Amino acid sequence: MVKDVNIHVKHLTRVEGHGNIYFNTKNGEVSNILWEVDEAPRFFEAFVRGKSYDQLSHLTSRICGICSIGHSIASLRATEAAMGVQISEQTELLRRLALHGENLQSHSLHVGYLVAPDLIGAPSVVPLVKTHTDAVIKIVTLHKFANYLSDLTCGRTIHPITLEVGGFTSIPTEKQLVEVKKQIIDTMVVTGEVAGIVLANAHKLPDFQRESEFIGLTADDHYPYYKGDVASTDGGMWPPESYLDITNEYVVPQSTAKHCKHNRDSYMVGALARFNLNYRHLSDEAKAVAEMFGLEPVCYNPYMNSIAQLVEIMDSLVDSTRIIDQLLSNGLKNETSEVEIRPGRGVGAVEVPRGLLFHDYTIDGLGNCIKANCVIPTNQNHGNIQKDMEAIGPTLVGKPEKEIELTLEMLVRAYDPCISCSTHYLDVKFL
Amino acid sequence: MKPKVAFFDFASCEGCQLEVINLEEKIIDLIDVVEIVSFREAMKEHSDEYDIAFIEGSIQRPMDEERLKKIRGNAKILVALGACACIGGVNKLRNEWSVDNVKEEVYGDADIEGNKLFDAFPTKAINEVVDVDFYIPGCPINKVEFAKVVSHLAIGKTPQLPNYPVCVECKKNENICVFELGKFCLGPVTRAGCNAICPQFQDGCEGCRGFLEDPKMEAQKDVLRKYGIRLDDMMKRFNMFNYKKGVY
Amino acid sequence: MSKREWLDFVDRLINEDEMEVIGVRAKGSKFQFAPIDSSEELRLDYNVTILPPKKQLLPPHEDLMTYDISKPFNVLSSKDEGKKILIGVHPYDVIAIQQMDEIYLGTHRDEHYDARRKNTLIIASDILNVPERSFSGSLGTHVVEDGFDLLITDLGDMVAVTIGTKEGEELLNTFAEPGEATDEDEMKVKRLRDELPAKYQRKLKVDKYQWEKLLEENYDHPIWEENSKKCLTCGSCTLVCPTCFCYDVEDVMNINMKEGKRVRTWDGCLLRDFTLVAGGEVFREDLKDRYRHRYYRKGLFLPMRNGFVACVGCGRCATQCLPDIADPCDVINTLASYSMHEKVNFPIPDVKQAGIEEGLLVPEPATIVKKERMTELETLYEIKLDSGKELGHKPGQFIELSIFGIGEAPISVSSSPGGMTFELLVRRIGHVTNKLESLEVGEKIGIRGPFGNGFDVKDLEGKDILFVSGGCGLAPTRSLINYVMEHRDDFGRVTILYGCKDPKAILFDRDLRSWGDVKDVTVKRTVDSCPDGECWDGDVGLITTLIPPLDMDPENTIGIVVGPPIMYKFVIKELKAKKIPDDNIIVSLERRMKCGVGKCGHCQMNGIYVCLEGPVFKYNDVKDIPEAF
Repeated sequence: MVKDVNIHVKHLTRVEGHGNIYFNTKNGEVSNILWEVDEAPRFFEAFVRGKSYDQLSHLTSRICGICSIGHSIASLRATEAAMGVQISEQTELLRRLALHGENLQSHSLHVGYLVAPDLIGAPSVVPLVKTHTDAVIKIVTLHKFANYLSDLTCGRTIHPITLEVGGFTSIPTEKQLVEVKKQIIDTMVVTGEVAGIVLANAHKLPDFQRESEFIGLTADDHYPYYKGDVASTDGGMWPPESYLDITNEYVVPQSTAKHCKHNRDSYMVGALARFNLNYRHLSDEAKAVAEMFGLEPVCYNPYMNSIAQLVEIMDSLVDSTRIIDQLLSNGLKNETSEVEIRPGRGVGAVEVPRGLLFHDYTIDGLGNCIKANCVIPTNQNHGNIQKDMEAIGPTLVGKPEKEIELTLEMLVRAYDPCISCSTHYLDVKFL
Repeated sequence: MKPKVAFFDFASCEGCQLEVINLEEKIIDLIDVVEIVSFREAMKEHSDEYDIAFIEGSIQRPMDEERLKKIRGNAKILVALGACACIGGVNKLRNEWSVDNVKEEVYGDADIEGNKLFDAFPTKAINEVVDVDFYIPGCPINKVEFAKVVSHLAIGKTPQLPNYPVCVECKKNENICVFELGKFCLGPVTRAGCNAICPQFQDGCEGCRGFLEDPKMEAQKDVLRKYGIRLDDMMKRFNMFNYKKGVY
Repeated sequence: MSKREWLDFVDRLINEDEMEVIGVRAKGSKFQFAPIDSSEELRLDYNVTILPPKKQLLPPHEDLMTYDISKPFNVLSSKDEGKKILIGVHPYDVIAIQQMDEIYLGTHRDEHYDARRKNTLIIASDILNVPERSFSGSLGTHVVEDGFDLLITDLGDMVAVTIGTKEGEELLNTFAEPGEATDEDEMKVKRLRDELPAKYQRKLKVDKYQWEKLLEENYDHPIWEENSKKCLTCGSCTLVCPTCFCYDVEDVMNINMKEGKRVRTWDGCLLRDFTLVAGGEVFREDLKDRYRHRYYRKGLFLPMRNGFVACVGCGRCATQCLPDIADPCDVINTLASYSMHEKVNFPIPDVKQAGIEEGLLVPEPATIVKKERMTELETLYEIKLDSGKELGHKPGQFIELSIFGIGEAPISVSSSPGGMTFELLVRRIGHVTNKLESLEVGEKIGIRGPFGNGFDVKDLEGKDILFVSGGCGLAPTRSLINYVMEHRDDFGRVTILYGCKDPKAILFDRDLRSWGDVKDVTVKRTVDSCPDGECWDGDVGLITTLIPPLDMDPENTIGIVVGPPIMYKFVIKELKAKKIPDDNIIVSLERRMKCGVGKCGHCQMNGIYVCLEGPVFKYNDVKDIPEAF
């Protein structure tokens, strides 16, 4: 007689936002397995109605504290597309640098503070301060550098200040960029050391495979975050404007966050999706990190998303030096943002730490927003999390409850869900 | 005995708690001084025994209201963390419309009727639900101010917010007044404490720390008029973090 | 020297490791004093900087001292003694610095300012472009004759240098090889200076010697009310002012709760909390009063004290004021055009005090030797200076009590002069006094002082003395009463009236009783009300009711009145009814005394600094001061 198991993880910890896991077995069979999101809805798309075009990025950045730079840039790109605003090469380079800052910040937070404790077998990073002081200091160093880069480009890492429609209110000086570049070289060494620490504990990552679809931006010549076409590992390429045909959002009763599906029941976005789609554009330094873990495209193990993040940390550092070199060789210019108010609709698609993010605005002739839609990476992942749980569930039957709970928690955490982000959207297709 | 500290969040972006994490190596000092017993964003450990509760986020649903009251019951000191908790912040902007209207705009015709997860009422700041002892305003909070409040509480000094406008910090930092750059700024009526970070990067103050106890609104409107800003545009910006039904 | 030689001179200074070169450089479309990396960054063609060079001598935020509270008394002054050269200081700012020197280095030397000032060389520069809102041409502050080490005049291809000090000359000869100026060069410099006044768009209708009179006659001019309605109370006008010098002090702890620092920051009289005291009272609550105070301070009170108008006409306040109501040129011109001619006097009592030469800012260690709870709110502390010295106070003086990590609070001394210890009666009302309650006998605190003007005991000798004390007012009075008791024969009849809220709030009851036992001393105690069941052997009723029945010789009686602000008006009315001349009434007033030496500005009532001329005043000296009662 097998004992029935009833696991309910209320408000999963070490993730952004509120989500719950249910796992029940009856007579040795999984009777219920559910990923529930009970984050309070915040209705962003509703309240940006009537707001001025130049307020939108400042409002929508407040969707998420961790990826506020990504939201701002997606928002600016949508606004600029809607109003036909052109930006300079310098602005694009600085925005790409800002996205790297955020990617570094978010990934180092996730791998270092949220995932590492699972691998080392601690409830959080707090006890590690005493037991693994060196490792914690390395992670803090990495995280601190990431925030420094974000602060420098955006004025503030959480809810950026300098990013505005058409450009920047204020830009770093050449002296500051030279200094950052110096620090990047040191930070690359620290990243290698952090990768070593993770590798030493990587055996704790479950060897779980489930073939799924991966979606993300792709480009001909680089590993894209700022712009590109949308691609799938199942094949196909689409312009960002047709995002609704890709995301197909729908509401499920157990979640204030909508779910998405494309070619299959669900798909995944994020570091692993980008890795699977754009491996060829990674720097050698980043590929070397992947090799340490035997990570190759196409990888179907969602737990490896954290490793893909580690790879991206290295790649973001390398690409940041390239961007800084370019900025310095062009020479920094004090530009003013030229904006002319024009009605229209525009979509901005940006790769943020957790995956593909879309903002879609319609602006009227007075420069006010009349319709908005944001499709958040974590939304696109909720369905895939549920499907992964359903697939891994039966393999867990009979294992100790603690282990089941940890395996499921680690699964959700691997997606690095940003739950407060994912509880706002519209244009629902209820299926 | 180290005071026991817990962090809780409601409708928010969790950026304020992230700002706490952004104290970086200073957190190591912090956990020497206080015992963090609950911090869901970063810790699995949890206990309901705490002295100081930091609350991020605003209150959107009956189920949130209940949870907040329970926390108030457990905590000796309750501190509102960030604009959403202190004043409702951007979350309050939706109060311009009815709950049904915003639900329809966001969830369309999906069947969410009777589902308590979606059971929203107009957004409330946390002091509309429970008594709040101290406030750390801002969107996001300023981590330096957070550290200061914690050290005040730890040493037994009542934390006090600056009761002067952002202009004071702008001047001390020798910022160029953003009005001179042709931008809108709420600095003259907004409580300082952010070190005038937005004007420092040549962007106007948006009032995220809430208005002063006695803001000179009429004088502020006169100034904005002088710079050619229309009343409806003014209200949109006054409301950004400080939504109020009717006109300021 | 040629322009090239000048630039080489600047670059040589920059390359010198010993000193930091701070010059005028562009900040966006504006200018600021900031470190320069090359002479090319220097902009001598600037009009005005956003902040004055004052910030190099009195920074917006400066650490006064650091401490470690995990140790008994571990305090280190954080004086900044780095060598600096300021390049490009305009004449009006040179004059402003001279005024700052007078304030900070005159009586009671501020050691932090002193350290910076001693290590700073000033290379001034003649004005090439007149700032739009400046009216320094009307004040004569567009040119300067001293107060600089070197003064340069940019003549295009040549730079003329005027030597101000020996240090300046030495600097010039060490880092440059200047040629002798020709008569023609000197003519050019003179012409440049002479032509300046005509370039000003803004001009005063009256000269600076008229300011005092205009202000004396227009205290109730409608302009104060009208303009203050437009005021944002943002404080910008005072914060950008080169002659404003008020400050606030705050203790800031590191998050590790061991190390901390005491920080001085700029403050300003336009800000509401500037006159806030621990009890929550704001002494200059009305915005009109705050708005007016700034002009009176600059144009009347400081000139009365120091002999100069505390405005150099730089126009920074006018530039920064969004509603455009901060321009002294506008306000003075308005007063000149429509004067009310209603003269009000603001006398400043002449009090002689020995100046403090060093150790103004850092408290000295002291130990709590005894602690006695008096009432629910008040505790009496006996304190001993660790140096073993006497405090050396006069009755009526106060000290600043420090608890590191918390802050400082002014407390009157309650014991009579002399003795190796002194007593402080402390009411728990703010941060410091609340924390003090948690300290035990043997623990360390910091003491600065004594400060202020106390009771002049010589003046009281031979007189009958009537003490009228309400509530905490007995604390400073007790110091004098004890002195009088110790020198009983030097004084006439003594009457002590004491009133408080209820029997539980009574202070020094033991003392009151024992004083009553002394020959020719009458003590009367009263409470506002006595709750049922409370044991009480004194009177019931307000303290004013004790005065009419007294038998006294008014001409030979000195009335000493100390109590809560509300008490003065009513008690003094009763004393007048008893025919006691105003000249015979002495009061002690309370304000927020932060520095204790007339610099921070918080305790000022009109022109009077309570910490310097008070807290003990002859009633006659303050009765007409609008902000006194």
